[in-house]
Amino acid sequence: MDHPAAHSSPPRRARDAVLAVALAGALLIVVGGGSIRGQGEEMRPGLQRDVVVAIGEPAGWVADRLPFDDAVHEATAFLSPDEDLGGGRGFAGRGEGGVPPVRAADFGRAPAPSLPRPPRRLRTLLATGDSLVAPLDAELARRLAGDGVRTVRDAHVGTGLSKSELLDWGKLSRRQAASVDPDAVVVFIGANDGFDMTTASGRTVVCCGTAWAVEYAQRARAMMDVYRRRGAGAVYWLTVPMPRGRRAEVARVVNRALRVAAAPYRRDVRIVDLAARFTPGERYRDALRVGGRRRVVREPDGIHLNALGAELAADAVLAALRRDFR
Amino acid sequence: MVFPSIEFAIFFPVVLALSWALMPRQHAWKAFIVVASYAFYAAADWRFCFLLGGITLVNQAGAVLVHRTAGERARRRIVAATVAIDLGTLGVFKYYGFFVEEVNGLLERASLGLPLPVAAIALPVGVSFFTFQSITYVVDVHRRLVPPASLIDAAVYISFFPHLVAGPIVRASEFLPQLARPRDPARVAVGAGVALVAVGLVKKVAVADTLAREVVDPVFAVPESYAAPDVALAAYGYAAQIYCDFSGYTDMAIGLALLLGFVFPQNFNRPYRARSFREFWRRWHMTLSRFLRDYLYIPLGGNRGGPGRTARNLMLTMLLGGLWHGAAWGFLLWGGVHGAYLVGERALRGRASLPAWASWALVFHGVVAAWVLFRAPDLEIAGTFFSRLVEPGAATLWTVPAVGLILATLGAQLLPERLGPELRARFEGLHPAALGAGLAVVVVLVSATVPSQGVPPFIYFRF
Repeated sequence: MDHPAAHSSPPRRARDAVLAVALAGALLIVVGGGSIRGQGEEMRPGLQRDVVVAIGEPAGWVADRLPFDDAVHEATAFLSPDEDLGGGRGFAGRGEGGVPPVRAADFGRAPAPSLPRPPRRLRTLLATGDSLVAPLDAELARRLAGDGVRTVRDAHVGTGLSKSELLDWGKLSRRQAASVDPDAVVVFIGANDGFDMTTASGRTVVCCGTAWAVEYAQRARAMMDVYRRRGAGAVYWLTVPMPRGRRAEVARVVNRALRVAAAPYRRDVRIVDLAARFTPGERYRDALRVGGRRRVVREPDGIHLNALGAELAADAVLAALRRDFR
Repeated sequence: MVFPSIEFAIFFPVVLALSWALMPRQHAWKAFIVVASYAFYAAADWRFCFLLGGITLVNQAGAVLVHRTAGERARRRIVAATVAIDLGTLGVFKYYGFFVEEVNGLLERASLGLPLPVAAIALPVGVSFFTFQSITYVVDVHRRLVPPASLIDAAVYISFFPHLVAGPIVRASEFLPQLARPRDPARVAVGAGVALVAVGLVKKVAVADTLAREVVDPVFAVPESYAAPDVALAAYGYAAQIYCDFSGYTDMAIGLALLLGFVFPQNFNRPYRARSFREFWRRWHMTLSRFLRDYLYIPLGGNRGGPGRTARNLMLTMLLGGLWHGAAWGFLLWGGVHGAYLVGERALRGRASLPAWASWALVFHGVVAAWVLFRAPDLEIAGTFFSRLVEPGAATLWTVPAVGLILATLGAQLLPERLGPELRARFEGLHPAALGAGLAVVVVLVSATVPSQGVPPFIYFRF
């Protein structure tokens, strides 16, 4: 029952195998060295990242000095499912259209209560974010389908506001707002954050100090401003339930940054506090009491919500939506 | 670490070169390949390396004990204990949460307030595959098909990275003899290895992931938002997606093993050209099918004992085969539906005959319908999915790429059998430098189809 290819192929020497694989690798460095470097920089810290960066830096250096990277990118662009959403190390939505700047002192202030919006009919909902939003968006779409609401689901797994190399949420948010024209936007993101960010002044800030929180809040605020479209849309930004382990620190800082970011938009932006719902006291737990008994609400990875968790999150989001929409 | 990733693209060339450099010194090579395989596995979660090591030690001890024991009753007890540990491990990691949820639900309904502790237990990648491989080892030793291997050989067999996380399920009797002497560096199927890696990449990244993103995932998440044309497209799309995803992984695994000098069994043989359900299972996930046949169906009695017992054995085998995929009612029902297909087909054999095209259409659509149970997140969504198949409405997802990929995937399986090998033989005969350049071109083209969120994991990584 051996695979037939094992016997049909003309036998060659082992060195031919090494040659074929090495040549493929060398060609990929020439035409895609920049991508290796970029992806390495956006990996989570650890040995794997160190190895990829160690290869990616010289590979990128080689690719930068040759014309092939751009040529290949242009030649294969027709196959790409995304238009160019990579943003280098910046954040294209930052500081445009009179977005109030975030200051470190803002983190010491208590959040002001939100203001009511004139009730309107909900016709189009955009649910977006990273992998956190993936089970929730389907749950929202199912629950709203009967009300004639069109739910546009646009999850971008593995991305984050502090990971702009592969996907720049500043660019993406503007594209989403223009193409979907949503009455309401649900944003659930932050599972992959914690990376160094470059501020508008070109300074690099490292997670998770005050400077990093300020930059994160500035980026989130820019997106909020894009999504709210001068009051035409309402934004429901979900806090990140504490993940298991050391990544909880990132979630804490992200959640504080979100509250600061939303402060100027009390009428249009709501912070839906899922962190308090799923991880009271900022302590991770697998299970919650639901319907009188303890039920698992998190995925085994200790980061994401499972199907039941998504149902509970949808309850919270729908409750917030019902306060603003007919 | 998944095959289509930068990490693996760095890992594999290094391992390949060192593997062939060390091959003449077998002790060093075996130690090296075990370390490399554990490093590969640790990339997912290093803590599960202890589980992999534990399973290896337990099964090696079981195999050695079985070999040394004379009495058949004692030998059987040793095998039963070893298999129980393997299945117990699988049960804890894979089925504990499902079991606790269901039992607690029953207790709740019966107003018995003694709930079992609930917890979200992480599933070790590939646990279903390496526990099954371990079972074949100890059972094959018991059946005297292979002698017990040395500990290092057993460790190589169970952890060998090309098949570690999603198969194919290579039997001990197929793999251990390949460790008996160094692989011949003058007889390496380089062309086949590179071709299979390239084909696997295209199937997984360009076809399966595109169909998932554009058609399958949106519809299966919220079927109530789509009408019959889109729902039907999603059903056919998932049939194409799961084939390309899993067979793509298998192609890559077999190709990588060939480059390292090892031969794995075939795992897929154009399953959607089957004209009977029995034939389908001889073409789909062939290494699991034969595992279930040889280690479950035949020990249960197989088709000895009359039609009733055969039907029972078939149903039990398929139900457990369904449950092997995961702890969910959908998998169990999927296995049950296939069991019913096989039982029904057996009962009708010789009594009813259909033209070849009608048999093919019946089997194909039976398989596609069962995939809905397999893919839907729960039975409620599966029910909604089926109900929307009669809902008139617009075709919003029928794009040229989506329909083209589905037709190409399914159509390629219906072409005459000789065409594939002919095309492959041409590629395999190329000079190694041309093979390398060809692989690079495929990687560049396939990479261009990857969205910003990257390559999603293989479907069978969850199993």
